[in-house]
Amino acid sequence: MNQMTSVPLTPAPPPPTPAVKVAFTGDRRSFLGLVARGAGLEMITAGFYRFWLTTDMRRHLWSHTVVDGDGAEYTGRGRELLIGFLVAMAILLPVYIAYFILGLEAERLQAFASFPLVAFLYVFTQFAIYRARRYRMTRTVWRGVRFWMTGSGWKYALQASLWGLLMILTLGLILPWRDASLERYKMQHTHYGDLQGSFVGTGGEFFKKAWWLWLLTPIAVIFYIGIPFVYAIYKAIQFRWWVNGLRIGSVRFESKLDPAAYLGLYWKMIGWVILSSLVLVPWFALSAAIAAAVSGEALDMETFSNVELYVSIPFIVPAVIGYFGWAMLINVFMRLYLVRDLWERSVASIRIHGLEAAANVAAKGELANALGEGFADGLDVGGF
Amino acid sequence: MSDPGSIVPDAAPIDAAAPTRAPVTFLDGASSRRRDVSLRLNEACEILEGDAVIASWPYADIRRADGPAGQLRAMCVSAPLLARLEIREPALAAELEHRCPSLDAHLPGSRGVLVIVGWSVAALVSIVLMVLFVVPLAADRLTPLIPYAVEKRIGEVADKQVKVIFDGKQCENPAGRAAFVKLVEMLRQAGDVDATADAEVISNQIANAIALPGGKIYVFEGLLARAENVDELAGVIAHELGHVKNRDGLRNLIYNGGTSFLIGLLFGDVTGSSAIIFASREMFQASHSRDAERSADATTIAVMRKLGRSPKPMGEFLLRVTGKEKGKGLALISSHPLSEDRLARMSQQDAAPTAPPLLSASEWAALKAICKSPAKS
Repeated sequence: MNQMTSVPLTPAPPPPTPAVKVAFTGDRRSFLGLVARGAGLEMITAGFYRFWLTTDMRRHLWSHTVVDGDGAEYTGRGRELLIGFLVAMAILLPVYIAYFILGLEAERLQAFASFPLVAFLYVFTQFAIYRARRYRMTRTVWRGVRFWMTGSGWKYALQASLWGLLMILTLGLILPWRDASLERYKMQHTHYGDLQGSFVGTGGEFFKKAWWLWLLTPIAVIFYIGIPFVYAIYKAIQFRWWVNGLRIGSVRFESKLDPAAYLGLYWKMIGWVILSSLVLVPWFALSAAIAAAVSGEALDMETFSNVELYVSIPFIVPAVIGYFGWAMLINVFMRLYLVRDLWERSVASIRIHGLEAAANVAAKGELANALGEGFADGLDVGGF
Repeated sequence: MSDPGSIVPDAAPIDAAAPTRAPVTFLDGASSRRRDVSLRLNEACEILEGDAVIASWPYADIRRADGPAGQLRAMCVSAPLLARLEIREPALAAELEHRCPSLDAHLPGSRGVLVIVGWSVAALVSIVLMVLFVVPLAADRLTPLIPYAVEKRIGEVADKQVKVIFDGKQCENPAGRAAFVKLVEMLRQAGDVDATADAEVISNQIANAIALPGGKIYVFEGLLARAENVDELAGVIAHELGHVKNRDGLRNLIYNGGTSFLIGLLFGDVTGSSAIIFASREMFQASHSRDAERSADATTIAVMRKLGRSPKPMGEFLLRVTGKEKGKGLALISSHPLSEDRLARMSQQDAAPTAPPLLSASEWAALKAICKSPAKS
């Protein structure tokens, strides 16, 4: 920003360094190739490939997210996720058995009384979410310095669970304050080298921007068609609020994400799900016809209305394969629209102020293990 | 300082000794400071800041790190973990790539993927074999080890849930109930089943009967309504008593739990995995439970013969309830043996009754009306 006109004598105050725009340079087609190949491998390996696919997706997204000319780097590996998953399973197995026995005792007193035990799993899930974030953070590197996290997974789980309770009591109205509080905990314990993170967003700000969505939700739930609208707008408002509250040291973040930015992505996703389901239905019909033909039945209504046909092997095998293939296809769409495109739109909306504070940050922090990711996977909350 | 202005032919190696002034950035892994450096490609890749060599990376230790398109980002396994070299000049990047034999050695290449696929298939085969052979064996061996008191508790849980699911009331018509208790007691003693067995009629239109862990047997009103004589119903109750005697309910529970866990392990959070787990479990379970059904049928045959009655009516009753099953490709998936085969087996054991009917005509009539409220007389 140096200008050629010289203004002598008055030592110009250091000009405010301009905001730095975050860019996403990833090639959409190569990401599609990556997730399509990954889905095929997931199908062949009955899902085991997911650890490597998740890693490859993160590597792609991280490395093409460019801040001030430098791409971030994801240094996690699929093998770590696999080991984390196996260890988590070894720990979860006795937990599940204990859960089963406790549940038995509770149910004996009253049918379906094991609900309080579900609460325990909820707490455990929150723990897993925190620890999984910690793993991802310590695998995130920018300019040769990693992010890292302190804080306790159990303390976080306790807070998140208490907020969860309040959520039920207030019918979700408290959500902005819950988000702000949990985000404060996460960011205060997040570091980039020797810079400490913080979160200055408040629940009130979030509420001011999103309260009308809370009113719309019951209407949206009644008319299903409204749910994607409400959800997409909610996610966009939440992201913008979140980014604007982020601080790392004195580095400030800003996002002007349009509240409608995600709408198209959710609708594209829904459209593809509907379209691909239209393929699945004839596939089931074909499977049923083949199953009937194999067992030598007449292809009439009587055969097709017999439930036994649909629990017979000649039907179940192609149906399960078709269903699995369909699920993999849905995963491809989801990863393309709701992971990659959503990521692109989100990060490209970010501007960073005062990045010079991060120009000479001393490296610090230890790597965390992938156990949290393993728990999250085992508990089916494996987020991105 | 810069490269000699001459145009270097493609094939000619870049003068390795001359410090390259291409834009190269070095991150030392200790701080986020970007250091403008130059490279000297000698026996090792020397990194110079000004004229000072600040690091020297052996070519064999250099690996590719992820970076945005248009640059080579390199790291070194013998340098600090996060030290990085960013090379933006294509020719220099190509030259360095050419010199580093193990640049991509750390990433799973196509061979690495094959290894992953190989191990996954091995795990898949192992889990299928476990489900087919080890889990049933474990269920068989574990079942006798579990005390009746525990089974009874499990049964109480199942009992509460069944009542909720089938939304039925116990049928309490006194005359019908007396006949029902008499019939069950007769069958129980003939089958040598201990007193934990306990049967009820539930007012629900399903044509079925079930035995829960812990010895509870439910006969649904729908089945009772379709029975034409005492022997038909007695055969079914004897069959369920056979399940109780063999502790099949508990065995199934162990088997199902083990199978669900193993299959769940495989699929993790792949979309729609619960549906797949359910379908595969049903399939595995079917083959497992057919043996249990045959064994329970054997109890029916033994009990009915001991009481001087024929088991054949039960076979006919089953066929009437299920309809023809043969030739529908169901043999593999059905959880029960085909009704035709069961009838054939019962028919082999057919003999003229040597004892009077198990219930009198009036008792049978009362039993049929067990779910009606007592007639006011």
